[in-house]
Amino acid sequence: MNAPADTGSPAAAAPPSGSPAPVLSVRGLSVRFVMRGGRRIAAVSDAAFDLAPGECLALVGESGCGKSVLAAALLGLLPGNARTAGSARLNAAGGTAGPDAGDGGTIELLTASEQELARTVRGRRIGLVPQSPAAHLTPVRTVRAQLEETVRELTGVRRSGARADAERAADRAAFPLDHLDRYPHQLSGGLAQRAATALALVGDAPLLLADEPTTGLDRDLVERTVDELRRHTDDGRALLMITHDLAAAERIADRVAVMYAGRIVELADAPAFFGTPGPRHPYARGLLDALPERAFRPIPGMPPELGALPDGCAFAARCDRATAACEALPVPADGVACHHPVGAPPAAPGGPTPAEATEPTGAQRSEEDGRRARTA
Amino acid sequence: MADTDTTTSGTGPATSGTATSGGRAADGRGRRAVRVGVSAALTAAVVLAVLVVPLLFPLDRQAVDLAAKLQPPSLTHPFGTDEVGRDLLLRCVYGLRVSLLVGVVAALAATVIGTAVGALAGALGGWADRAVMRVVDLFSSVPHLLLGIFIVAMFRPGVWPVIISVALTHWLSTARIVRAEVLSLRSRPYIDAAVSGGASRWRVTVRHLLPGVLPQAGLAAVLMVPHAIWHESALSFLGLGLPAHEASLGIMVNAARGSLLAGDWWPTLFPGVFIIVPTLAIAGLAGAWRERINPRRRSELML
Amino acid sequence: MLELRDITAGYEPRTPVVRGVSLTVAAGEAVGLLGPSGCGKSTLARVAALLHRPDGGTVTLDGETVTGWRHRAPRRQRTAYGVLFQQPRLSADPRLRLGELIAEPLRAGGRRAEIADRVGELAPVVGLTDELLRRRPHEVSDGQLQRACLARALVLRPRWLICDEMTAMLDASTTAALVAVVESYRRESGAGLLAVGHDRTLLARWCDRTVRWADLTGAPAARAEAPADR
Repeated sequence: MNAPADTGSPAAAAPPSGSPAPVLSVRGLSVRFVMRGGRRIAAVSDAAFDLAPGECLALVGESGCGKSVLAAALLGLLPGNARTAGSARLNAAGGTAGPDAGDGGTIELLTASEQELARTVRGRRIGLVPQSPAAHLTPVRTVRAQLEETVRELTGVRRSGARADAERAADRAAFPLDHLDRYPHQLSGGLAQRAATALALVGDAPLLLADEPTTGLDRDLVERTVDELRRHTDDGRALLMITHDLAAAERIADRVAVMYAGRIVELADAPAFFGTPGPRHPYARGLLDALPERAFRPIPGMPPELGALPDGCAFAARCDRATAACEALPVPADGVACHHPVGAPPAAPGGPTPAEATEPTGAQRSEEDGRRARTA
Repeated sequence: MADTDTTTSGTGPATSGTATSGGRAADGRGRRAVRVGVSAALTAAVVLAVLVVPLLFPLDRQAVDLAAKLQPPSLTHPFGTDEVGRDLLLRCVYGLRVSLLVGVVAALAATVIGTAVGALAGALGGWADRAVMRVVDLFSSVPHLLLGIFIVAMFRPGVWPVIISVALTHWLSTARIVRAEVLSLRSRPYIDAAVSGGASRWRVTVRHLLPGVLPQAGLAAVLMVPHAIWHESALSFLGLGLPAHEASLGIMVNAARGSLLAGDWWPTLFPGVFIIVPTLAIAGLAGAWRERINPRRRSELML
Repeated sequence: MLELRDITAGYEPRTPVVRGVSLTVAAGEAVGLLGPSGCGKSTLARVAALLHRPDGGTVTLDGETVTGWRHRAPRRQRTAYGVLFQQPRLSADPRLRLGELIAEPLRAGGRRAEIADRVGELAPVVGLTDELLRRRPHEVSDGQLQRACLARALVLRPRWLICDEMTAMLDASTTAALVAVVESYRRESGAGLLAVGHDRTLLARWCDRTVRWADLTGAPAARAEAPADR
C-alpha cells in the first residue's frame, strides 16, 4: 500500500571526524517485497549511513525490523520477489586496503550483476561473518580444507601457497593452528565461530558484515567473539554488525544505528548512546530501558506490520511523546528521526524539522542521490 | 567456502512462475524456467496424447498389413511400421498409455505403502523401528527385477500383476525417505511441545509428523513414476509383463529386437524414445518441486 | 515441589551429558539455571519437563514419583508443565496458524469447547492481535512467534513452567515483555518456574534464585545455593 515513497532525505550519515572516505555509503536504500496478491512489504525504507575504515557500526533493532533484509540487500542475496531502490556504494578503500583486495573502484551493490557480486564482491570486498557458524561450515570437511578451498577460490593461489594463506587467515582469526585438521563438529562453539570468521577474513575484505554473530552464544562467548571482531576493526576494516544484543553492541560499536519498522530512527555515537546523554529517539530509549540491567520494562505494544505501516511515524502508536505532529513522517535530523526527541526542546507544532547535515565535517556527500528502481 | 556457498544458494529463489524476478540471479532463474517449461510442456503433451489419441484414432489390434511391413519413417508413417506393418507412432502412443497407467498407479500404491511403513517405523522408534527397517533391508537385498518377476509369475499376465509387482518392489525407498524425515521431525521442539501439551502418539503422528512429510512423499511418488515405467518395460521386454497383444513399450522393443539385427532401427528406437522422454520430463518437474519444498526456500521473505 | 534427584541423562548410553545432578524447585518458586551453552542444562530441563527419559535418578513431581517420560507419562503429568524453547521457529508446527498453535493442547485434550474463550483471553495477554492469530509461523517475526509459543505453554494453566533459553533469540523489549507475562501468570496462578539460560543479569533479575551449572555438577549432593555473583 505504501509504495516506495522515499522522501529522499540524504541526511544523517556523515562519517565521524574528518575521516577517510567511507568504505560503504548507503543512501535512501529501500527494499520492498511484493507478495502474492500484490501485497507490498516495506522491509527497509530509506536507510542512509556511511561506514569508514576502522569503524564499527552496530545496527540494532528487534527481530523482524528489517535489519537482516538490509544485510541481504548489500550482499545481493534478496529473494526474487524483492525490489530495491536507492544506492549502496562500496568504495575502493582508499589506500588502506590490502594489496590484493580485488579491483578497486566504486561498485553499486544494488545494481551490480550477480556475476559481478560473486566474482568481485562477496568474500573479496565484503566478508560475511555468519549467524550460526556450526551451520555455516561444511560438516564433512576439515576446517583446513574449507579454508584452503576458500583461499583458492578467492585468490587463485594453488596448493602450497593456499596452505600458507589458510594458516595465516586462521591465525588472524585467532583460530588455533593445531585444530585446523578437525571437523566442525569437533569444535566448541567459540572455535567454530572463529573458524567462520577466518573464512570471512580470507579474502582480506575491507568490509566485514556480521549478521547476528552472537545469537545463541553464552555471555562469555559473546564477549570473546565481539572482542575479536573489534580487533579486526582496529586493523582497519569496516564492520557492520547486525544484532539484537544491545550489550554486545555496546561492547563493540563506534556508532549505533537503531532500526524500527524498516527505518533507521537513530544514528548516534555509541558512547553517547549507551552512556550519557543516552538515546534521543523514544524507541531507542525504550529499548535500552528494557534491558534487565536497567528498568527491565518492555515498550508497550508491538511494532507495526511492515506490510501496513502508518503514513507518519511508525512508533507513534507506542510512544508516550506522540502528538498530532507524529502523523507526518519525521525527517532524520541530527541523527534522529523523531518530532519530539528526548532532550530536545519541544518541536514547533506541525512542521517536521528541516533536514540538516549532522556532523559538519568535510564529509564528501553528494553522490547524486541516485535511486534507481530495479525491476527486471 | 562461506561466500562461495552463499553465492550458489543465493541464485535460486523458488518463487512461482508468476512473480517476475528482480534482475540479479536472472540467468540462473531463466535457465530453470526453461527447464521447468520444457518439462511441463512435454509432460502435458504426453498426457494429452495418451488421453486424446485413442479417441481420434482407435487402434485395431488385429489390423495387419504385411505389404507395408518394416517401412522406414515416411510421411504416412512418421515413425515407420513394424514387422507386421502396423503404424509405429500409433502403437507407441498406445504403449505409452499402458506404461503411464501402470507407472502412475504403481507409483501411487508404492508411495502409500512406503509412507505408511516409514511413518510407522519413524513414529514408533526403538525396537519397532529397527524391526521394520530390517524387513525393508530384507526386501531390498533381493534384486528388484528378480522379486518383480517372482511376483508376476504367481499371477496370470495382465496389468494388475505388473502394478502389484512394481508397487511391492518400489515402496522401499519411500519408506526410507519417510522414516528419515519423520525421525528428523520427531526431534523438533514442536513435537516436544505437542507431547507436553498432552497429545497422544497417534495425534502427534497424524497431526504433526505425517503432514510434514507429505511433500517429500509426494515427490518420491512423482520420481517413482519413471521407475515404474521402466520396471514395467523391463518385465514386458522379458515377456513377463503384459499380454503380448497389449501394445506396451517394453513389448514393442522386445518384438523389434529381430529387425534391429537386420538394420531396421526405427521399431526399437521410437518406443525407446517414448520411454525416455516422459522419464526426463517427469524428472525435470520433480526437480523443480524438490527445490520448492526445500525448507530454506519455503518462505520468500525472512526478516 | 519439583525434585530432580541424582539425574544422569544423555543421548548416547556411554556418554551422558548430565551426570548425577540434583535440583529442587519449590512450589511457586522461580529458579534460574545458569550455564554455558552445550553444558547439558537443556537436557536437564527436558528431563524435568518429562520430555527426555533419564538414564538414572528420580524425578518427583508434586510428591509423585515420575515413572514414565514422553508418551509414557500420564497426560495429567505432562500437561502440568508449560514448556518454552530457545528457537520459536522450531517450536511451532510450520503448518498451523498461530491461533491453532495456541489451541493445539486444548484440542489434543478434547477440550475444543474452551478454545475460543481461552485463546481470546490469552492472545491480548501475550500481545497478539486477531490478525496475527490468523497467520502462519513463516509470516511472523521470531518475537511474535515466541509470544504465540508462550500462549500455548500457558493455555492449559500449567503448575510448572520450564523455559529453556526462552529469550535468547529475542530483542530486549520482547524479552522484557515475555518475562513480564510469565511473571504475571505466576503471580496469579502460583506456578513454579525453572528458567534455563546463560544470561546472568537476566536470570538474576527474573528468578528468586539462580543456580550455576558448575555448582550443580561439582557438588551433586550439596543443595544449590543462590549465587553471589552480580
